[in-house]
Amino acid sequence: MIHITINGKVVQAKDGEMLLTVIRREQIDIPTLCHHEAVEPSGACRLCMVEITKPSWDGWCDYVTSCLYPAEDGLIVNTHAPKVNELRSSILDMFLARHPKSPEIRQLAAEYGVMKTQFEEVVDGDNCILCGICTRICDTMGFKAISMVGRGHGKEVAPPLNMAPAACVGCLSCAKNCPTNYIEYNMKNGGLTIWKKDFEMIACTECGATTITKEFAEYLSVNRDIPFDYFEKCDACHRKELAGTMGRIANWDREARS
Amino acid sequence: MTIKNVKDLNKIRKTSLATQKKHPKKVLVCCGTGCIANGALKIVDSVRDGLEKRNLKDVTVEILKETGCHGFCELGPLVIIEPQETFYTKVKPKHIEDILDKSFLDNEVIEPLLFTNPVDGSKITKYNDISFFKHQQRIALRNLGKISAHDMNEYIGVDGYQALAKVLFEMTPDEVIGEVTKSGLRGRGGGGFSAGRKWKICKDIKADKHYVICNGDEGDPGAFMDRSIMEGDPHGVLEGMMIAAYAIGAKEGYIYVRDEYPLAVKHLEKAILDCERTGLLGENILGSDFSFTIKIARGAGAFVCGESSALMKSVAGEVGEPRAKYVRSVVKGLYDEPTVLNNVETLVNVPTIIRKGADWYSSIGTKKSTGTQVFSLVGKVRNTGLIEVPMGITLREIIFDIGGGILDDRPFKAVQTGGPSGGCIPESMLDLPVDFDSLTEVGSMMGSGGLIVMDDKTCIVDIAKYFLEFLVEESCGKCTPCCEGLYQLLKIVERICAGKGVEADIEKMERLSENIMLGSLCGLGKSGPNPLMSTLKYFKDEYIAHIKDKKCPAGVCPELITYEILDNCTGCMACIPACGYDAIEGKKKEVHVITQDKCTKCGACYAVCNFDSILVS
Amino acid sequence: MNKRFIVKPELCTGCRSCELACSFTHAIDGVRSLTRINPIDGGFKDLWVPVTCLQCDDAACIKSCLVNALKRNPVTGAVELNHEVCVNCMACVAACPFGCAILDTQTNLIVKCDLCGGDPACAHFCPTKALVWELIKKAVKKTG
Repeated sequence: MIHITINGKVVQAKDGEMLLTVIRREQIDIPTLCHHEAVEPSGACRLCMVEITKPSWDGWCDYVTSCLYPAEDGLIVNTHAPKVNELRSSILDMFLARHPKSPEIRQLAAEYGVMKTQFEEVVDGDNCILCGICTRICDTMGFKAISMVGRGHGKEVAPPLNMAPAACVGCLSCAKNCPTNYIEYNMKNGGLTIWKKDFEMIACTECGATTITKEFAEYLSVNRDIPFDYFEKCDACHRKELAGTMGRIANWDREARS
Repeated sequence: MTIKNVKDLNKIRKTSLATQKKHPKKVLVCCGTGCIANGALKIVDSVRDGLEKRNLKDVTVEILKETGCHGFCELGPLVIIEPQETFYTKVKPKHIEDILDKSFLDNEVIEPLLFTNPVDGSKITKYNDISFFKHQQRIALRNLGKISAHDMNEYIGVDGYQALAKVLFEMTPDEVIGEVTKSGLRGRGGGGFSAGRKWKICKDIKADKHYVICNGDEGDPGAFMDRSIMEGDPHGVLEGMMIAAYAIGAKEGYIYVRDEYPLAVKHLEKAILDCERTGLLGENILGSDFSFTIKIARGAGAFVCGESSALMKSVAGEVGEPRAKYVRSVVKGLYDEPTVLNNVETLVNVPTIIRKGADWYSSIGTKKSTGTQVFSLVGKVRNTGLIEVPMGITLREIIFDIGGGILDDRPFKAVQTGGPSGGCIPESMLDLPVDFDSLTEVGSMMGSGGLIVMDDKTCIVDIAKYFLEFLVEESCGKCTPCCEGLYQLLKIVERICAGKGVEADIEKMERLSENIMLGSLCGLGKSGPNPLMSTLKYFKDEYIAHIKDKKCPAGVCPELITYEILDNCTGCMACIPACGYDAIEGKKKEVHVITQDKCTKCGACYAVCNFDSILVS
Repeated sequence: MNKRFIVKPELCTGCRSCELACSFTHAIDGVRSLTRINPIDGGFKDLWVPVTCLQCDDAACIKSCLVNALKRNPVTGAVELNHEVCVNCMACVAACPFGCAILDTQTNLIVKCDLCGGDPACAHFCPTKALVWELIKKAVKKTG
């Protein structure tokens, strides 16, 4: 265990754990847009930057992304130093100029006092903030169906060659974790369409309710050694089944006693 | 043959030297990329045919040398006749017969092909008498233009691999690091970090593997020094890498070359193959315990892949995006192992430092920036090309002595150093000694050594716009301040160029620049606003002229200038067909008029007018 | 921990106190969460079965999680879901053969029993002792 000072308060931390983890544990609110606990930090959005210093640094301060900076003993962290606040609002201003229509961005920017961007709004700017959460989750889950394509201002998230990705199983993790809800998908009539690929949902053999796609179930069954018939009922019908089994046993017990 | 030990190496060296002595008469044809583009390969063929005709076919290899780049690319193809050092420029195949008869077999000089001194128009015969070459001191470029680029024996003949032999048998790794540290060699890729110290840090980390990577991903517009070195002296690069590998204990090395450099890849591949065949690469090199292999990793030419962490990702086959470097790549680099990444120019200096000693090297240049630096001198100077000069030389010496002054004797305005992330230096600082620290102090940087000279007809706002466009285009798009911030800076500058700037823009740019520098992930973003900040610092007036007076003093920004025809127009009608937009009307021998609505400010009329009758304001 | 969560359907009256206890205990910012325990009609007269996670040894939910959001708590033995890590892919919901990983549609979070970190609230609130959190020794004696 080591000790670091965050906004004047001495707190304990594990050596090497990232500053953001410690800051969040202390219930201090700093914004992030590219952070997700399921994946490695990337340091793309730069919103979690904090001011750090040490007594031995002779008054010199550094500005680092807390999601990627390992805690060291004696570090003094200021999560809301004036320069940091200014940087955050400036970055949110840039985001707002690029994605003027995104409600999520507008709300976050407003929290930092940016109601309207001082920069030139990007005409027909989409809501993808290129945080890479979707691609990193897809990589971590082992599918690698989508990735960042291109660079700079024209970068986008897309499957290879912009065609229905063979590797995609339709787990929807990309869409569900998108901070700006940009990734579109369509679920109707027991089917799912995402990234231009069509999937069939598994319908519960009892009630017809759907949970995941057939491709995803097959993937889990093959790669994770889960019997495929587990996927053939929905959770509610599984519970009913369990209640029935336990009920029968309890009833035998009851009858045996009486 | 194989080179099993130092004895074998010296045998080759002796043979090579003996051949040189036997055939002092040589025809050197520059086969750098610039000269090849100008037709050097045809020259080589013509010389070969010519030699055959003169019954010299058997000794063609000894006579005809396809050398690396001389640096004087604008005058290519270049042919040099040894031992007279006669220097011919812009040679065409039809000249070869003459050159062989008169200059090669006889001692005559063919005047029309000689270099013309741009200052006084006189002809200069000898290579070393040309001011462009006279003021240079070549260490990194030592073999360029002297030997056949792809011939290993010739490299060995000019003391090649002697430094390798010296470190393997006479020095411990620590001594090698000590020598390089003492020499004061600093990374030539832009950062200027002490090469010896980098090696020391890397060596001291315990790990399964250490790697050496040579950074040949040269992405700055107008810079081609690394390219020339890789093309013209591939063995020098390999030897430097081997010495670095020995020093840090690496067994594997990579050369990262962009795919836009096919000739560099070809020559490096041949050099690596030659070394592997002879045993200079592989197990137990020269009979020592040292084993080392080198592979070429080809990059797709993204600017950001020159950044160390992005480069290593690219070598490992991932998307070339930088990562935050709170743990440095020396500690955790390629495949998370300690890695030394050095620039081509840094590595190629190493063999000479080992051979001649740290004291010799540190005696060149300034105290804190030792040795020499290769610059690519381009822009509005008379002599453009690659030059290598000692550190501490002034910009004035580079531009006016080596560069021969400004084209058309126009006034000097600024020089841009350090590539797209560098800055512009104004005339008042021409006597600045060029080294790592002095350039950083004035808001620019050494970078990889680009020098772009500008005259009074260059609009400084336009230059800032150009570099911002480049950086926006090349930003990897990972972090917001670089990707979006630079884009917004560009938008503001574009607005200013279009005459729509407002006074608040200057402050807005300054604040945005500060935030970009503070917030960006990698060095490219952090230094991205440099071209804007330095021009804003030294040429604020010009920005204000654009914003307040809606005027472009240099007459460049199309929206801010008008073309008018003056009363001294002779009515020659030359400009009328030149205008592609029918904007000029007029009758013969009457003053013509430009219809402003139709004028696109392309400057075509200005170019054809022989009477200076077109006023740009 | 030498304690074990035991369900005795014969004592359950289907009063649903456990549901309330669970819902409130797992409330986030004052918003009730979906209950992880449900008394379900066992198919016989006056027989209710409180269905909740069995904390399987070879748990399908853990196997199905591709981001390692589900981990066994070595102290309580419960399989716990880390919501910060969870990507809501529904794999565990689909994979659990007992249907005990459930999607809370109000909060859009997947929930499952975590034994309240070692002191299940439902056991506290069960008026008929159909749900008990008791020492393993005792349990062994009784059943053995």
